[in-house]
This record gives sequence, C-alpha cells and structure tokens, in this order.
Amino acid sequence: MPILLQVNNLSKSFRIGRKWFNQKYFTALEPISFEVQAHHTLAIVGETGSGKSTLAKLLVGAELPSTGSIKLNGQTLQPGDFKQRCQHVRMIFQDSGTTLNPSLTIGQLLNEPLQINTKLNEEDRHCLIRETLQKVGLLAEHMNFYPHMFSGGQKQRISLARAIILQPQVIILDEALASLDPSLRSQMINLLLDLQEQMGLAYILISHNLGIVRHFSDKIMVLSKGQVVEMGDTAKILSRPKHQYTKKLILNQRFQLLHR
Amino acid sequence: MNLLDIRNLSIVLKSATNPILAVDRVSLTMKEGEVRGLVGESGSGKSLLAQAIIGVLDEKWHVDADRFHWRGKDLMRLSVDERKAIISKDVAMIFQEPMACLDPTMTIGMQLTEAVDGEQLTGYFWQKNQQRKETAISLLHKVGIKQHKICLKKYPHQLNEALCQRVMIAMALAKRPILLIADEPTAAMESTNQGQIFRLLASLNQLKNMSILLISHDLENVTHWTNTITVMYSGQFVEAGTTKHIFEQPFHPYTRALVDSSPKSNSGLPAKSRLMALPGSIPILQHLPIGCRLGPRCPRAQQACVIAPKVTNYHGHQFSCHFSLKGSY
Repeated sequence: MPILLQVNNLSKSFRIGRKWFNQKYFTALEPISFEVQAHHTLAIVGETGSGKSTLAKLLVGAELPSTGSIKLNGQTLQPGDFKQRCQHVRMIFQDSGTTLNPSLTIGQLLNEPLQINTKLNEEDRHCLIRETLQKVGLLAEHMNFYPHMFSGGQKQRISLARAIILQPQVIILDEALASLDPSLRSQMINLLLDLQEQMGLAYILISHNLGIVRHFSDKIMVLSKGQVVEMGDTAKILSRPKHQYTKKLILNQRFQLLHR
Repeated sequence: MNLLDIRNLSIVLKSATNPILAVDRVSLTMKEGEVRGLVGESGSGKSLLAQAIIGVLDEKWHVDADRFHWRGKDLMRLSVDERKAIISKDVAMIFQEPMACLDPTMTIGMQLTEAVDGEQLTGYFWQKNQQRKETAISLLHKVGIKQHKICLKKYPHQLNEALCQRVMIAMALAKRPILLIADEPTAAMESTNQGQIFRLLASLNQLKNMSILLISHDLENVTHWTNTITVMYSGQFVEAGTTKHIFEQPFHPYTRALVDSSPKSNSGLPAKSRLMALPGSIPILQHLPIGCRLGPRCPRAQQACVIAPKVTNYHGHQFSCHFSLKGSY
C-alpha cells in the first residue's frame, strides 16, 4: 500500500506576550512524524489542550507550522499554498450547523469550491454537485434548499459533500461525529466507510469516544500535552495500553466500552 | 409510594391553525432513591417533559395529564402558587450548558449565596449573612471544589465547563431536593470530566438517598449509572424497564436499534464492518407521522402501525409496540 500522507518533525509553538526581549514560547505541539496510507484511518485521541486540534489545523493549512514538512504522495505541501492543499486535504468540523453559510443554498455552497479550484464549466459543475449529493445520500432537489431546512444529520452530510466534491485524498474529521444522535451517527459511520472503500480516502479522525475509534480506525495516536505518548495499531493499543496516560484514558471511558 | 407518578402526560404547542402534539401520552414513575435514565434523540421531547415536571413551561404550551402525582398529591388540581411551593422545595434541576445558565454579571459566590435557602438558616438576622456564606462554602466542598476561596470570587467565564457544572449542581443541592433532574449534565464535555460528574451524582444518590432523573441523548452513556431507563422517540413513549432488560432484551424495535448502533455493543464486530442503523432521520414537529411515529423508519412496521399502540406491561417492563420483539428471545 503506498504511503499517502507523510509528516516529518511537524511542530507548532505560539509566542506569549508582546515583549521584544525575553520572549516566551508555548509549545502546542512537539515535533511529530507519522505516515498515513490510502484506505486507512488514523485516530487522534487526547484531552483538551493536548494539541490534537492544532495538529488538524496544521494539516489542513489553517496554521503555519513552526518546523517540519508535510508530504502528500511524496510531494511537499508548501505552507501557505492553499490552491494545492484545498484540493487534496479537506476538513469536516464538529458543529455542521454553524459552518454552513445560512444565506446560500446548498447548490451555491457546493458550487463555491468548484468555481475557485477547478476549470469546469457551469453544466459540468451542476452535474458534479448532483452526483455528490446522491453519493452522500441526499436528493438532487436538495440543491435549492437553504441550510436551515435540514436536520442535524443532513447538515453533517452536506459538510461531507462539500469535503468530497473536489475528490480529495485526505479528510480530517474534527469531532465530526460527536454532536450527532446515535442512530444518525451509525448511518454516518457507514457512509464514511463506504466512501473510503470507493474513493480510497484516508481519514484522520479526532475523537474522544473510544468506542468509535475502536470501530473506525486502523492506527491510533495518543497525544498528551503536545507529545505523542503512544502510536500503533488501534486494536493492539486499546487492548494492551503501555503508557500510564493511555491507561487512564481508557479507564475513564470504561463504562463506554465494557459490557455491564 | 411512588415519588413521582405521571400517566399519559401530553404537551401541546398552542397555535391558532393547528396545535402540535409535542409530547404524546408519556408515562413516567419514579421511586425514592432511584436513578432513572430518560433517553431519547434530539427532538424527542425529553427536555420538555422535564420542564413540564418542574413547571417552567410558558403560556405557549399546554400540559395535560391523566395523573400527575408528587408523593401522593395531585399537582394538576393545585393552584399555581401551591404547586410552585411544593416543587421548588423538593425538586431541583440542572440545566443544559452550565456556562450559559449561570449569570455572567455576578460572581459565583453571589449567585451561590443567593441560592441558599433562607429557611434552613438558624440565627438572628445579623448572623444570617455569615451563615449564608458558610453554607455556600460547604456546598462547594460537597460537590468536590476544594479551593472555595478562589472559586467564589470568579465569574462564570473564568471557570471551565466541568467546574461550572459543579457549581450548578451545588446550587441545585442548596434546597436539599428529593428529586434532582439532570438535563444532559455532561453534554459537550471531555470524557474525564464526564466521569467525575457522573460519579458525583452517583455518590449523592447513595449518601443522601436523592432520586435522580438523568436525561441523555445517548443510551450507552447512562447505562452504567442508572437502575431503570425510559426511552422516548419523537414525543412518544417507547419503552421502560430496568437497565439490564433494556440493554440485553429490548422489546421495542427502536430500543433494539439504539442498542445495536452503539459502538459498545459492537465491540464484538470486526473493525470497519457496517453498523446497524435505522434508515431516515427523526421527523420534524411540523410533519409528524400518524400513529406510531417510528413507523416510516421501523423495520417491523405493518399496516396496524398507523394506529398508535397501547402500552403493554410485561413483568414491570413496559413497551408500546404492535409487533414487539418479545417472542424473539
């Protein structure tokens, strides 16, 4: 299996205070390296402030890294080159309701990334939007609807449609499943797994529900205070955690994983 | 004697053209010292039911019930003031989103001393202020906040969510309630904090024999902490029974689907296999199906489902379905 995404020594630190002398830095993410293959899912778990959202922002290009590089298919993704990155790395956020522009119809919403990133003419764009909506389990007529007309689960599907419409290779799910109702969540998981099979997507899943992580991911990375505590196969690590922090994390969610 | 006994409670959203039946004949009973989970997905009317119990619904809503007893007293027949006196004395509620529910312009100390019940204070009027403060501090200790000096001076935005939730619980405990209604106490919270809050509620239940009605949208989150569970769907009663029965032998297809869709029960499945899920989504209030509202999504639905099923009781396990899974176990 070819390696899709390769991250080398990526780190991020923020400057605190405005003093010119005696500058202090807060390291949100210590240098980390990892690889993700096509068709695979990497899960990132950790508490608040462990740097998992920072990592997601770095990967998608919303923040500039302090050190390190990100390679996609062996090609370096330049920090600041959004054209290249928008096509290949997309992100879905936790609260889908607030990330959709309420004054645009779904058709206009999905048209925007196509207009900016591709050279398709209007007819082709229309066809592609229609196709993508059907792919995520919505109807083509939904194109003329506004976001407020949809339920929470459907809104999450629209953000997924927006993510996959440019045929990306990597999708980052930042707590995208946390706010959904359980029956919709399993629908969404099924949909994501189907798309992964069809399109060969690689997912980076940020979640604190270890039950989902166990089901959904191949590899797991445990972050604590910006450092990688443990990394490896999901099943192995969740059944035999080595580090104290991972053990604590699993113990805290024991009531979610164990049968009564 | 049952603490709370509700039969066929309906809540109607009044409007000139077509009134909407948001909660359709739901029954709920609570015994003393019981922890009951009230589970339902968003829009199932569980928060409405809680608000109807403590009586904070405004004019738009009309509440009607066959029986609405609180410790043997019929609340429907009392006047508003009498009812308020009883409920405010015995029932307390923790609302969703603790950060949003605390007053942002007052310090925690001011809000907490305000919540302390004046009738519990013994002493002359010049001693009362001091006593109020002491009570507030002991309440904070009770919910596991040790640094009361710092906490009392802070504004809500300066504390994190788990601490705010603890302050909310402290305020709810100020009246020494018999029943605590916790409306999604851990929504949008880290799993570590979730555990802390649930453990705190469980210890209050054990030590003070306080009954808790735990409202949640996720079945698997509450199973560990409850004795009994009531499941609702789209404003209708689905199933009620002990946690063990609900989780191991659900009689209603909807409960079955909820249990099956949780990752917990799927830990035996191979990773990345398809999860069992109900098709479709939850109906919105303007377009509710007639009869059993699960109908369009239900795998076992037949023609009879256009008439809402009656509640069947089987060894204390209640369910409302024409084609239950009872025979399949």
